[in-house]
Amino acid sequence: MRIRTAGVVAVLGLALAASGCGGSDSDKPAAKESAKAAGGKLVIWADDKRAAALKPFADEFGKENGVTVEVQAVSKDLQTNFVTASQQGSGPDVVVGAHDWIGNMVQNGAIDPVQLAAEQKSAFNETAIKAVTFNGQLYGVPYATENVALLRNTALAPEAPKTIEELVQTGKKLKAQKKVQEILCLQAGQNGDAYHVYPLYASGGGYLFGTTANGDYDPKDLGVGKPESIAAFQKIAKLGEKGDGALKRSITGENSIATFTGKKCAFLVSGPWAVADAKKANIAYDISPVPGFAGGKEAAPFVGVQAFYVAAKGKNKALAQEFVTNYVTKPELAVALYRAEPRPPALTAAFDQVKSEDPDLAKWLEAGKNGQVLPAIPAMAAIWDPFGKAEAAVIGGADPAKTITAAGKTIAGQIK
Amino acid sequence: MTTPTAVPATGNRAGTARRRGNRWLTQVGWRHLVAVLGVLFSLFPIVFVLSAALNPLGTLSSTELVPTAGVTFGNFGELFQRTAFAHWFLNSLLIAGVASFASIFLSALAAYAFSRMRFRGRRVGLLSLLLIQMFPQFLAIVAIFLIFATVTDLWPGIGFNTPWGLLLLYMGGALGVNTWLMKGFFDTLPRELDESATMDGASHAQVFFRIMLPLVAPILAVTGLLAFIGTINEFLMANVFLTSTNSKTLAVGMYGMLQGNERNANFGIFAAATLLTAIPTVLVFQFLQRYIVSGLTAGAVKG
Amino acid sequence: MSTSLSGSGPAQQAPGRGPVRRGLPRTSRTARNHAPITATGLAVKVVLLGLVAGIAIWAAFPLVAAEHWVGLGILAATTAGLGYLYLGRRHIPAKYLVPGTIFLIAFQVFPVLYTASTAFTNFGDGHRGSKDDAIVAIQTSSVKQVPGSAQYSLSIATQGDPTTGALVFLLGDPKTKEVFAGDAGGLRRLDPGQVESSSLTGKVTAADGYTVLNIGQASVRSKEITDLVVPTAGGAIRSNGLTRAYEGRAVRAYDAGCDCVKDSETGRTWTADAQAGAFVAADGERLTQGWKVNVGLQNFSRVLTDDTISGPFLGTLVWNFAFAIASTGGTFLLGMLIALALHSPRMRGSNLYRVLLILPYAMPSFAMLLVWRDLFNTDFGLVNNLFGLGVDWFGGSWTARFAVILVQLWLGYPYMFLVTTGALQAIPRELTEATSVDGASPWQSFRAVTLPLLLVALSPLLISSFAYNFNNFNAIYLTTEGAPFPADNPTNGATDLLITYTYRLAFGAQGAEFGFAAAISLLIFTIVAVVSAVSFRRTRKQEEVYS
Repeated sequence: MRIRTAGVVAVLGLALAASGCGGSDSDKPAAKESAKAAGGKLVIWADDKRAAALKPFADEFGKENGVTVEVQAVSKDLQTNFVTASQQGSGPDVVVGAHDWIGNMVQNGAIDPVQLAAEQKSAFNETAIKAVTFNGQLYGVPYATENVALLRNTALAPEAPKTIEELVQTGKKLKAQKKVQEILCLQAGQNGDAYHVYPLYASGGGYLFGTTANGDYDPKDLGVGKPESIAAFQKIAKLGEKGDGALKRSITGENSIATFTGKKCAFLVSGPWAVADAKKANIAYDISPVPGFAGGKEAAPFVGVQAFYVAAKGKNKALAQEFVTNYVTKPELAVALYRAEPRPPALTAAFDQVKSEDPDLAKWLEAGKNGQVLPAIPAMAAIWDPFGKAEAAVIGGADPAKTITAAGKTIAGQIK
Repeated sequence: MTTPTAVPATGNRAGTARRRGNRWLTQVGWRHLVAVLGVLFSLFPIVFVLSAALNPLGTLSSTELVPTAGVTFGNFGELFQRTAFAHWFLNSLLIAGVASFASIFLSALAAYAFSRMRFRGRRVGLLSLLLIQMFPQFLAIVAIFLIFATVTDLWPGIGFNTPWGLLLLYMGGALGVNTWLMKGFFDTLPRELDESATMDGASHAQVFFRIMLPLVAPILAVTGLLAFIGTINEFLMANVFLTSTNSKTLAVGMYGMLQGNERNANFGIFAAATLLTAIPTVLVFQFLQRYIVSGLTAGAVKG
Repeated sequence: MSTSLSGSGPAQQAPGRGPVRRGLPRTSRTARNHAPITATGLAVKVVLLGLVAGIAIWAAFPLVAAEHWVGLGILAATTAGLGYLYLGRRHIPAKYLVPGTIFLIAFQVFPVLYTASTAFTNFGDGHRGSKDDAIVAIQTSSVKQVPGSAQYSLSIATQGDPTTGALVFLLGDPKTKEVFAGDAGGLRRLDPGQVESSSLTGKVTAADGYTVLNIGQASVRSKEITDLVVPTAGGAIRSNGLTRAYEGRAVRAYDAGCDCVKDSETGRTWTADAQAGAFVAADGERLTQGWKVNVGLQNFSRVLTDDTISGPFLGTLVWNFAFAIASTGGTFLLGMLIALALHSPRMRGSNLYRVLLILPYAMPSFAMLLVWRDLFNTDFGLVNNLFGLGVDWFGGSWTARFAVILVQLWLGYPYMFLVTTGALQAIPRELTEATSVDGASPWQSFRAVTLPLLLVALSPLLISSFAYNFNNFNAIYLTTEGAPFPADNPTNGATDLLITYTYRLAFGAQGAEFGFAAAISLLIFTIVAVVSAVSFRRTRKQEEVYS
């Protein structure tokens, strides 16, 4: 028995030693690098996808200037971890993320405004600059915009529908012919998805926040729970499970694109990230704006912007500002980031450069033309969850008036 | 025997006279039936994951248990190409291996004291071990940041982005459920064993290392495995701790595959990674299985 | 055989246990004191203590360098304490408990106490730092470019050594082509003859009397560069990165006299409110950057008085208990059943069975929870498709509850199976064989011998498993997220546990409210602690009976 125990210890020890060696081997190059560079160190946090795309450029920036640049990927809760780490002085110098984080990052003093010269500013798409402006200050340097649109399988539905009713009609016909299983792939899920359903909500006349005199969103004027929002959800209810069956809770973020690429539905409401899958599955597709209700308003999708921010408590702020204001604003970087991830660049020059090689880009921009900038005010955080759940309940057949009034009450209670 | 006297001594005799096949069924057959049902229950979702990993489209379409679009190992290849999977794998092995080993040792020490010694604060100590585990961890993250921000400043070698810092953090949880588990097993060992050894002049350390530890080999193996699995799956702390790509563990790296604005993640690669993650655990289990199953009976006879 | 039987039959010792217990430690301690110190034992002790001392010395240097005297004191005390403990012959239990406890205190007790202390504050998004932090944030975020001012090209230079010399900004005005040198004393125009600059950008590349730093050199002195402000008539020139500078002005400034923030453009003032931890204007408008203040019991009273929180609390609590009991009990019963089935020398292929059975536990649980969520999808899910059902699993309260418990069963039973397998090994076969010789049926011998012994070993584990499942955040968060929700209340769903419910309340609103979350957690913690402590008291009896 003792011998055996000793054996276990020995084998485990060996295994550990082996994996330990592996581990330390991989650590060594990194250690050498940082010892070699005489200059300062710049740490950038991004999510996994972007971190991978950014790495080569960060390395190049480092090499050009004799500094070390580390791009680190935070897999979950990037924004929360950034704010917490910043507070305690262990955060990065630069963070990359969606523009609707700005409100929260500012209220925690986690990011500083960026100062762009007028000619730098004018090189960007106007919507993108508007999105990263908060309380009259510019807080980030945008590099790409994104919004949802309607993708359709042109083999099944050659014509872009003008209204949602037309879409439902085509979908129903295809379903009756057993060509598809679902009328429309618009992800909702058990708890709803405010982002994807928003174009329909807007078309039905609903709004989230009113705007103040200077064009900012006003958290005191909440649109959810107002008569317009009830009217919008009554229209959405007609598309739901007890109505046309075009909106279903069983269509989720995990399966909506897969169902479209599997040719089980002819229409998909999604963003530029869905294109890669459609291409991979060899689907003949086209992109058009999300159609609105007949006789309703335009179906305005949310426009989101991805941006670079300078951390307020970074250890190397000057270098961070240098990177964000002078390097990120170059069209070459924007083009390269586009190649890593095809979404419309926010720099006009970069957009024009890639427009010719990718006809989709102009279509995405066209679909987002009527879009509304996703509100960056902290109060927006209170919207997502109750709004999504109300959507799911209405799709499932709950009474729109009662549901939306309750959601409005919950949201209002959470906004300070 | 004092307790089992109430057992009726007849009744079952008739059973021995039954036919052979019937007897096989009652004694062994049902065991296979239960085991097969258990295996089916276990495997049902895993087969689905396997099918997704082999599906060339790499998408999640839940209706297919068998991939219809053909079978390919492309997802596995892509996994190693596109991500630092090999790094993550090694990191996980290192961290989970060292952490489980060290925490089992710390845990066994404490369990021995809790089981064999009587001292003031023993029951309170045991109870506090349990209670402290109940505090939601996602709240403690702020405090963990606070501690390790200081540690990283002072000793970068055991700070953020190092496996050693994470190991230290995991050691904080060494005394916990596993201590309870082991204490329970120490309790079932007859006291006469160590008492007689003590009479023979053995020190408490000798009793612990030479007599107790070998006797609880099965439970050391079980808790070791549990700690290994627990560490390899740990996500919340590791995600905060390891941000540079090459320092990540499997759980953190894999979660990253599902993130970003890819609202539809590449599930095929993810499924492939999930399957590969299970391999070290299965190997460790295979290796430990004989200790789990045969350990004590062999030890008890000699002891 | 009979001696072995009585020796390993703990049940038999029950009567003698109580009286012996009290006297035992003393007798054994005297016996231990007589035990000889072996050479290997001593060697191991010396090596380990040497290692501890070595680590302590290694850890001490940075502490001294950072003049962190409190930390150094703690380090010294801990090291001395360890030396005293292990070199002496007393405090034997402590020798076994201390190693784990040190880590426990540092990485579990401290974080929990720290978190608990935040329950009495407004700690959360917008109120994370100190008042000074908030003031700095307000001022820096109000810096605006002076209208009509120039955008300068910037070169960082020093007078003397690049690493230590005093920093100077060499500023080029691209329009007028003038060059200035600026430092904390102000701006000085430089004679064009002394300066070389790029004709394209006007950026200074060399200047007499100054060393121009490249970006690498400058980046090392980043903090000094950021802090260097060159005062001008209209505001101040600040660096914007390492190659540009602008003339800017902080529009908002803190005035200690009135303890308020003033906006020089609009003339508005916001006065500090020490209760709310924010600057508030006369009309109630708040500046977004606030700070952390003590709020006493406000978080607790909010839990108790807010109807949306206290209303569904009882129902959620009942379901929470049901979930924890069903998860623990279900996994235990299933795990034990399978372990018993495989626990037979006549069972072939049990090794293979075991490996396959352990698989659910070997897969990363967060991944499998996501997979299970898909399996329960109404239209696309495998469960409905395989069995030809059309159940809206997560749409109905009871089906959703059944589904999450089933998922927990799948995830958790291999754990119970493993533990029970280990525990069964510990039960001497002689005992069960003895009962079957006595003619007991397998069921009877299981009831009379196996189960009680299993429970001795496993009841603490069942308690802790209960506690774990009571707070099993992922089990709900990654599957139903609490769904289904009643249409008129999006905050509390049918499968919500207290912990997921708390999470939604504290983090779903306008930013995270850590203080509030900590307060709810403390309340939940109290409930679980009481329940666990009561069940723990019951195990005392068992421990006394069987140990």
